[in-house]
Amino acid sequence: MQGLKLSAVSKFYGTGTGKTIALEQANFEVGKGELVLVVGPSGSGKTTFLTIAGGLQTPSKGKVMINGRDTATLTAKERTKLRLTTIGFVLQSYNLVPFLTVEEQFELVTKVKGHNLAPARFNKLLNDLGLKQLLRKYPSELSGGQQQRVALARALFADPEYVLADEPTAALDTERTLQIIKLLKKLAHENQKTIIVVTHDLRLEAVADQVYQIIDGKLSKQ
Amino acid sequence: MFLAIREMKHDKVRYGLVISLIFLVSYLVFILTGLATGLSDLNKSAIEQWNAAEIVLDKDAQGRLPQSYLSAHDLRQIGKKGAQLAQFSTLVKSHNYKENAQLLAIKRQEFIYKKLPLQEGKKFGAARTVVVSAKFKQDGFKLGDSLTIPNSKVHLKIVGFITASSLNVAPVMYTSFETLKEVTKTRSINGVVFQHSGDKHLKLKDSRRYSIAQFIEQLPGYSAQQLTFNFMIGFLFVIILIVISIFLYILTLQKLPNFGVMKAQGIPTGFLIRNTLVQTLLMSILGVAVALGLAFVTALILPTQVPIKLDWNEIGIAGMGIIVMSLAGALIPIRQIIKVDPIQMIGG
Ligand SMILES: Nc1ncnc2c1ncn2[C@@H]1O[C@H](COP(=O)(O)OP(=O)(O)O)[C@@H](O)[C@H]1O
Ligand SMILES: [Mg+2]
Repeated sequence: MQGLKLSAVSKFYGTGTGKTIALEQANFEVGKGELVLVVGPSGSGKTTFLTIAGGLQTPSKGKVMINGRDTATLTAKERTKLRLTTIGFVLQSYNLVPFLTVEEQFELVTKVKGHNLAPARFNKLLNDLGLKQLLRKYPSELSGGQQQRVALARALFADPEYVLADEPTAALDTERTLQIIKLLKKLAHENQKTIIVVTHDLRLEAVADQVYQIIDGKLSKQ
Repeated sequence: MFLAIREMKHDKVRYGLVISLIFLVSYLVFILTGLATGLSDLNKSAIEQWNAAEIVLDKDAQGRLPQSYLSAHDLRQIGKKGAQLAQFSTLVKSHNYKENAQLLAIKRQEFIYKKLPLQEGKKFGAARTVVVSAKFKQDGFKLGDSLTIPNSKVHLKIVGFITASSLNVAPVMYTSFETLKEVTKTRSINGVVFQHSGDKHLKLKDSRRYSIAQFIEQLPGYSAQQLTFNFMIGFLFVIILIVISIFLYILTLQKLPNFGVMKAQGIPTGFLIRNTLVQTLLMSILGVAVALGLAFVTALILPTQVPIKLDWNEIGIAGMGIIVMSLAGALIPIRQIIKVDPIQMIGG
C-alpha cells in the first residue's frame, strides 16, 4: 500500500482557554508521482499539517498512514529511520547544520545513509538549483533563498520517496520560484516521487497536480 | 568522527577552551604524580634496589630500621639466610659541602652487596671505602674523593657509584660493618633482609618479620606524604569530572538546535551520541597529550632539588584516568541528546 494518507486528523495546541485548533478533521491522500500543493495564509496550519503528515509530530486525533503503516505505531527510532529513508523534509527554517559547509551537508547524508543520488543526477541537481559556487560556504554565509535551495537539494540528495517542503520558495524571486516548482514536478513525474509543498504563494497553483486549500486548520481539496 | 572533527574545526574557540581546561588539570595531575613518585623514591629507592621480600627487625622498633637493635640471640634465631644491615644517619662533609646521608653497612658475602647496581668504579673493599649513590656524582664528587663524618673525623673514600639510591630522603652510602664501627664506635646490626619470603616455621621471640611493603609503610612520614598526594590527585580527578560535565552540559544545551536539525533529517540518535563521545575522547586525548609534553619539559627545566620523577607507568595510569573521567563527564549530555524533539527546534 504505497502512498500517504491522513484520515480525520486534528491537532490541538495547549489546553483550556489557550487551546488552539491548528488542524481540524483533515483528510488527505496522495499517491506516487504527484506534486501536491497545500495553499493557505500564514497561521492557517500548514506547518502543522506537513510535520504531522511526515511523522515529525503526532496528531491529537485521527490517523496518518505512510506506505500502509500507521505512524502512531512507530517508535521514536523507527520514526527517525522513516525520515532517513522514506521522507525528506525541507522545513521553513533551520534546515542546515551550522558547522558544516554546503558540501559537508551532503556528506553527512552519505555517512548515515548508504543509498543516495547518483553523481550525475546530483551534479545536475546542483546546477539546476544554482549551488555549484556555494559548496564551500557555511550556512551563515548564505542568503535565506540560498539556504532554502541547499535544504531542498539536501532532501533530494537523500533520494527519499516523499519530499515534504514547507514554503521552499518563500525567499526566492518569481523566476527562481517557478523554476524550482517545475523542477519538483519533473522529479515527481520522472522519478515517481511524491512531493508535497505547503505555501502561501498562489502563483504555484497552476503547476501542481493537485491543490489543497487550508484555512484556519480546515483542509479542503480544490 | 566526521561530525566531531568538523564541529571542532568550526568552533575552535569553544572546543579549545574545553581542551585547555583538560590540559591544565592534566598538567597538574602529572606534576603532582611526578612529585609523589619522586618523593617516594627519595624515601625508599634504596629498599627497592635490594629487590627483597622481607626484613626482620627488633619487635619494639615499630618497623623502623634505625630504632631496631638485634641481639646475638635474635641473630641466632634469624639464621644465616638473610643479609645483615645497619643504618646510620649522618651528616657528610667535604670542602664546602654538607649534606645528610644514610650510611648503610652490609656484608660482602651477602646478597645486598652482590646486587648493588654499580654504575662506575667498584664496590667497597678496603677499610674506609664507600660505594655511594649517583646523587653524589651529580653533586660533583668523583671516584677517589673523600667525605668526612663530622663527629668521628673519619674520612671515607668513594670507590664506586651506584644508581641513584636514597633512603629516608637522603642519599645512601654503603660500607662495611668494620668501617661503620669506626664511625659510630659501636657495632650493631639493625635488621636482616631476606631475598625470599622466609620459612614460616622460623620462631622469632624478640624480633618480628615485616614484608618489604609493610616496612616501607613504616618509613617516617612516608604514608602521610603519599596519602596527601593521592588525595590531591584524587581531588583533581573529581574536578576533571565536574568541569567536563558542566562544560559539556552547557555546550550541549547550546547545540540542541543542531541536534534538532539533524534528527529532523533522520540522523539516528546513536550516531549523534557516538559523535559527542568521540569528540570528548579527542578533546581529552589532545589535552592529556599536550599536558604530558609540557610535564616532561617542566621536569627537565626544574632544578634538581625538586624531586620530580615522571614514571611512565604512573603517568600512563593518570592519563588514562583523566580520559576515563572525561568520558564519564560526556555521558551527561547523552540524556539531553536523546530528549531533543526536532519539532521543538523548528517552530511555526
Ligand atoms: N507549538 C505550538 N504551540 C502552540 N501553538 C502553536 C504551535 N505551533 C503552531 N501553533 C499555532 O497553530 C496555528 C497553526 O500554526 P502553523 O501550523 O505554524 O501555521 P502556518 O505554518 O500555516 O503558518 C497557529 O495559530 C499557531 O499559532
Ligand atoms: Mg508555517
